[in-house]
Amino acid sequence: MALSGQNLSQSVAGDFYTQRWETGPDDRTMILNMGPQHPSTHGVLRIIIEIDGEYVLKAEPVLGYLHRMHEKMAEVRTYIQYIPNMGRVDYVHALAWNWAYMGAVERLAGIEVPERAEHIRVITTELNRIASHLLWWGAFLIDLGAFTPILYAFDDREKILDLLQIPTGSRLTYSYFRPGGVAADIDKEFIEGVKGLVPYMRSRMPMYRDLVTDNIIVKERLEGVGVIPLETCRLYGATGPVVRGSGLAYDVRRAEPYSIYDRLKFDIPTDQGCDCMGRYLVRMAEIDQSLRIIEQAVDELPEGPYLVKGAPKVRWKAPAGETYFAVEGARGKIGVHLISDGSNKPYRCKLRSPGFSNLSLFSEVAQGVLLADAVAILASLDLIIPELDR
Amino acid sequence: MSAEWMKGLPVLSSAKMSPQKTGLVHSVFLSVEELGNAAKRLCDHGYSIEDVSVVDTVQGFMVVYHFDRLTSPGRVALRVLAPHDKPEVPSISEIFSGANWHERECHDFFGVIFTGHPNLVPLLLPEDAKFHPLLKSTEEKRAIPEIMSPGDVEVSTPTFEALFPKPEREEAGAEKPDEKSAKEKSTGPGPSAVEGKE
Repeated sequence: MALSGQNLSQSVAGDFYTQRWETGPDDRTMILNMGPQHPSTHGVLRIIIEIDGEYVLKAEPVLGYLHRMHEKMAEVRTYIQYIPNMGRVDYVHALAWNWAYMGAVERLAGIEVPERAEHIRVITTELNRIASHLLWWGAFLIDLGAFTPILYAFDDREKILDLLQIPTGSRLTYSYFRPGGVAADIDKEFIEGVKGLVPYMRSRMPMYRDLVTDNIIVKERLEGVGVIPLETCRLYGATGPVVRGSGLAYDVRRAEPYSIYDRLKFDIPTDQGCDCMGRYLVRMAEIDQSLRIIEQAVDELPEGPYLVKGAPKVRWKAPAGETYFAVEGARGKIGVHLISDGSNKPYRCKLRSPGFSNLSLFSEVAQGVLLADAVAILASLDLIIPELDR
Repeated sequence: MSAEWMKGLPVLSSAKMSPQKTGLVHSVFLSVEELGNAAKRLCDHGYSIEDVSVVDTVQGFMVVYHFDRLTSPGRVALRVLAPHDKPEVPSISEIFSGANWHERECHDFFGVIFTGHPNLVPLLLPEDAKFHPLLKSTEEKRAIPEIMSPGDVEVSTPTFEALFPKPEREEAGAEKPDEKSAKEKSTGPGPSAVEGKE
């Protein structure tokens, strides 16, 4: 299809996207390319910004620098062979993606997951969520200009990765879940480690608060910056800490309970601020809630199998049909729309990534803000580029 | 009965779905002309957009829109069919701003044209890509009744009945035998039968 802009003369500066850029009426503005390689983008995200002095007039993210076509890969691999892809869609909260895909497969085929496996899934996914929030916390503060916090965050995150390495065998791109359970049982060492980690993390949280949250500079940088009204979240489909930071207690673990989450006690932290500070506080409070969940799941961990008997093998064929399964990832609602024609490969596998919807509202929110605040807003959305591009 | 937002909307079909099996509460087939109206009504009733995806089928491109309410959850799928020779669907990005990127993505992957879209340029694929990676070859294509169950149909029209011919509907309406046969078929090599819930 012929696209307008493609036939522009080669002598015009810039590439496809900057050439198509319609500048506003003011001719004193400047177009700034932030990324795809830029210290304050979390990966290869590119944003074209039109600025007037220090103020952003218009901003437009350009995606696709890390696009790998995971949805096509789903159609050429069997259901089981596709599991490792899930750890690579969002490598920071990989287990939530594992779960979203496994949940869809299990719902499609009506596979029941043993109790012990459900508990293991909850424990590992929540540990992974804390690790994800810690990584975000460090990176977020780097974007604001504070370098040291990430060293503390990585130190604590390291402890979680060490633990997760025991059952999963990997530190980052987990592919641990299987249809009907998990790949390996958790052992005593892991359980003892988790039991020790919970009080340790709790003891660290006041320090995080004293060091950063109550810091006057952080407050000045975040409060009232990047206000996202709840209505905007709704129209863009933003979820996770973004919608909770705008005052609505929406969490897939409560809205559409899966696994054993309906039996676990935890709160959904919200903040009425709608600003970067709101989203910051929600994520910090979520670490506490995840610790609560882990504690309960470890206490109630039943004996029994970690994988259902006769679990699907590599060439397993799923029954024909269509299903949608959503889980709460660290960044929001992860959805997998899976369609099977009865063969051993998915007919269509649509991946709904929360970051994609969350970032799409950036153009609207960034209008008229200071350039430095635009960076704070981007970071407060908690972007993981492989997840945006898939 | 049909949901509040649907009242008086001329749909091709509307069906109640089992959330335990499909994750949906309602599945609604629409004509291309009514899509905007339906999206507008969902928006007025407080729904939020989840995603837009396309499925390449024998009957054409099935464009699926997922909506959910943030306050009282219940997923709704709107479906429209766009023929392969004229894959045009009106854009709903004016109503749900979030649809903008989803529609661009669908255009990248399938070449479906969302008419009235403000900026239908490649989002994830390179700007000079001349292919649509998720298109299926003729042998690979399946008919819609082969890949989804019509659910518990409440409203039906001749157009919809042409899509889901009678025997398929009865089978899916009864559900049990349909599922059983699917399960028998699904048994892979070796003793890897599925331990079902039923």
